[in-house]
Amino acid sequence: MICQRCSNEASVHLTETVHGRRREQHLCAACAREGGLTLPPSPPNIGLDQVVEGLILAHVGELVGELAALRCPDCGLGFMHFRAEGRLGCPHDYQVFRKGLLPLIAQVQGTTRHVGKVPRQHPQSNLNRLQIRSRLRTAITDEDYELAARLRDELRQKDRDV
Amino acid sequence: MNFDELTRTSGEWLRGTGPESDIVMCSRIRLARNLAEFPFINHASRGEKVEIENQVKNAIERGGLDLKYHDVQALSNLDRQFLVERQLISREHMGADWPRGVVVGPRENISIMVNEEDHLRIQVMLSGLALQDVWDQINNLDDQLEETLAYAFSPQLGYLTACPTNVGTGIRVGVMLHLPALVQTKQIEKVFRALQKINLAVRGLYGEGTQASGDFYQISNQQTLGKSEPELIRTLSDVVPQIISYERLARQELVKERREKLHDQVSRAYGVLKTAQQISSEETMHLLSSVRMGINLGLIDDLAIPTVNELFIHTQPAHLQKIQGGELQVEERSVARASYLRRRLSNGKHLDDESA
Repeated sequence: MICQRCSNEASVHLTETVHGRRREQHLCAACAREGGLTLPPSPPNIGLDQVVEGLILAHVGELVGELAALRCPDCGLGFMHFRAEGRLGCPHDYQVFRKGLLPLIAQVQGTTRHVGKVPRQHPQSNLNRLQIRSRLRTAITDEDYELAARLRDELRQKDRDV
Repeated sequence: MNFDELTRTSGEWLRGTGPESDIVMCSRIRLARNLAEFPFINHASRGEKVEIENQVKNAIERGGLDLKYHDVQALSNLDRQFLVERQLISREHMGADWPRGVVVGPRENISIMVNEEDHLRIQVMLSGLALQDVWDQINNLDDQLEETLAYAFSPQLGYLTACPTNVGTGIRVGVMLHLPALVQTKQIEKVFRALQKINLAVRGLYGEGTQASGDFYQISNQQTLGKSEPELIRTLSDVVPQIISYERLARQELVKERREKLHDQVSRAYGVLKTAQQISSEETMHLLSSVRMGINLGLIDDLAIPTVNELFIHTQPAHLQKIQGGELQVEERSVARASYLRRRLSNGKHLDDESA
């Protein structure tokens, strides 16, 4: 809507009832001030964002902060990244993200305890192998081939031990 | 690998032989498994993915299992699509771009996708309602693989999977149902709502996010943790017979109330399939669905169920192109599909067609 006095966009819309008759005025801010109308101050910035943030912090804040900082030492996945993607990076994540993951699993599955088949063999040395493999990946990325070769030997030695 | 010979055969699950096979196309169970020493697929390097493939190949060899490994990465797009149509791999597995494979068993009852979302996705499928047999087979296969492979497992959370929605048993127990009468009598939505209430998922013929074509629906569990495999199987085994009886009731209703109309619909569907010169995949599925129900209600007596089951799969785009021996555009496919249908349905030939 255009200001009734100039051709600027009207931002003040006034409705008066004088002697039972309705009168409407549409003015731009400058013309309204000129005409003696006092405009209400623009809404104060009450910092709603901060309020919300404060609320979150008061309730789950510390946990969120703690969880946000979680990162798996083996696959490098961060907990927040998992929350965004919905997929975990390696079996070890279940342990590393335990605090954040268990409530999620409880929500989706209704429980956090496995009932059912158990593998007959469950060698404990596998976390170790996962870790060696993680170091191997890093060594290859860093082009540290000497270390990579040593780690490969270590894996092979473990194969022989089994 | 050359899959051409497979175009002349079908998986056992299409034979229409198991219990309740007029309505239950097949029963299937899949297990998600991961190797403990590797990151999940989305975090594994190319080299690690190759190593995972090698470990699985090795496990099959050492177990002396009658299974064949196919390198999916090395296949043509057409062959990958072909495997999707046969329910041996998922669409995601078809579309991925890293080292991956599929292990297929004789008669296509068994398939193991290697390097899909999880390191292993083991699947066993059997014709008809046969969940217990499927479980016995897959459980046994899982045990055999585990002789060599060390799975990621936690005593509290069970088998560890890339997505926490599969953690625990890693099991999906599914049944593929043909429900044309419930669709026609508009009662299918009611059934879905009831299933959702008891935490069961409903999907189309080709899994997650696909439309139910040909009135086929897959019903499966969603929960994988906190219930044992036999319990989850029991849930499905309890619910499916109820759906079957609803479908039968709806069919009887159609026969009683609208016999002429139904007979007309079935005959027209059969007629179009036998004579059309051009036909889309969608229309084919739709008409085959009517014909399939027609056979089961005794309205068609010169066509066998296995043939119809097979036609649902063999008229899909990749199958047609493999049968024709070359790539075809959409329009050419419609012509080829119609010609293939006419050939398969020509009078007097199909009843002794035992290729299915």
